[in-house]
Amino acid sequence: MLEALFGSRDKGFAIVPQTSVAGRTLMLLIAIMTFLSCVTFGCVVLVQQSAVAWSADVGREVTIQIRPLEGEVMESNLRIAVELAEATQGVTRAFALSEADGEALLTPWLGDIDIADLSVPRLVVVQLSDPADADLAALASHIADAIPGATLDTHALWRQQINAMAGTVVVAGLLVLALILIATALAIVFATRGTMSSNREIVDVLHFIGASNRFIATEFQGRFLSIGLRGGAIGGVGALLFFLAAGFVTGAVLPSPSATQLTILFDRFLPGLTGFVGLVGVVVLIAALTAVTSRLTVQRFLAQVAP
Amino acid sequence: MIEFDNVGLRYGFGPEILKDLSFGIDPGSFHFLTGPSGAGKTSLLRLLLLSLKPTRGHIRMFGKDVTSLDRDQLLQMRRHIGIVFQEFRLLEHLTTFENVALPLRVRGQPQEDYRANVEELLEWVGLGDRMNVLPALLSGGEKQRAAIARAVIAKPDLLLADEPTGNVDPDLSERLLRLFVELNRMGTTIIVATHELSFLKRFSFPRMSLIDGALAINA
Repeated sequence: MLEALFGSRDKGFAIVPQTSVAGRTLMLLIAIMTFLSCVTFGCVVLVQQSAVAWSADVGREVTIQIRPLEGEVMESNLRIAVELAEATQGVTRAFALSEADGEALLTPWLGDIDIADLSVPRLVVVQLSDPADADLAALASHIADAIPGATLDTHALWRQQINAMAGTVVVAGLLVLALILIATALAIVFATRGTMSSNREIVDVLHFIGASNRFIATEFQGRFLSIGLRGGAIGGVGALLFFLAAGFVTGAVLPSPSATQLTILFDRFLPGLTGFVGLVGVVVLIAALTAVTSRLTVQRFLAQVAP
Repeated sequence: MIEFDNVGLRYGFGPEILKDLSFGIDPGSFHFLTGPSGAGKTSLLRLLLLSLKPTRGHIRMFGKDVTSLDRDQLLQMRRHIGIVFQEFRLLEHLTTFENVALPLRVRGQPQEDYRANVEELLEWVGLGDRMNVLPALLSGGEKQRAAIARAVIAKPDLLLADEPTGNVDPDLSERLLRLFVELNRMGTTIIVATHELSFLKRFSFPRMSLIDGALAINA
């Protein structure tokens, strides 16, 4: 199997030229395609992982918002809200956020402005043991009856929008990845045919001295697989450096509030262990695509030329 | 070894290049193939090399009807045949040693098994000091000798040569032809296409004469 893929180098010298302009062009093409594939895949993983994390975090919590109204005592309403929440089935814990905590939540989005001048609602965080088991309808009803200006935000609409957005991005990313792979396969077909045509004399001489098509295909196959692996490795390392640089930029170069937003959304802009394993998978996939596509193209070329 | 039965050949819809060829070649024989330019010598050699199929008639080689063989069987049968091209057809990126060793490499032999044989043959044809040189640096005569060495290294049953002495001086021509005679004595069947009248006079081998696509054999 390995001999069929890499050629039988132990038997002696390499019959196919090791360096050629066509080979270098193909390697550069594969490196670029691999880079684009890896970056697309990494971004898809990043969005998908972040969306899952957001949805899970948000789903385990609901928020009671109490707008400041004239004639209402906020601290008293906060206590009532906490008591009502803790009395509801499926609620683990409820607590009111201090004004400082509320401002801290807004700072990444609004910047360093004086929030005290704004009429900002106060929040009661309600943590659920099991989102499916909690009687949120009853809690919403009790809150609305007991506290003027209070509403229960289950984040359902936001979660729905996040999931829809993330799903759209993931599907679009996978579509782009599929198109890149198809374009790569087509480019490999053309590059392989070009390489075979420029090496037609070698093919003819090998035929004249009795080489089988299988032998010739194996000799060229080893060359193309080597090109695919090297191009894939260059593109993969390039993509890895891209994500490391992006992580560095979000952490160190961007102004603090912007960096904090990105960090909240995408952690440190790194696709994580799963993502890195996936990047290696993309490199292997491109190398395998090169090997299979070029072998089929070589076999087709050999079948078309007279022996 | 070779039997042609009413063989005809035409390219596409053109006129017949070879007409009604019927002859036999015995194993271990030596034939010269002569004829004016355009008479069809190269086409006949290509039929014998199995790189062309006749448009009519039957060809039997090594006991098999070659017109009914598939591509893989033809390539397999070609391993019994050595060929010396008029234009050498050495691979430009391989050294002289590698070009000559190519038929053995194609047969899957490890280099340590054939290195000594290839070096000995290269010494014999006067290329002992040119083993590691690329063809671009060889003279016409050196290329011709390398091409002949490549054709005979695998000890073929049938050796075809298209003007094998066209680019070498008379002394070397004589020596190369004696190599063919030596191979013939060891059992290789040889067909040499040539214009060299001196050879035809000096060596009393049968002569196959092609004129306008028709063949006559003079013993």
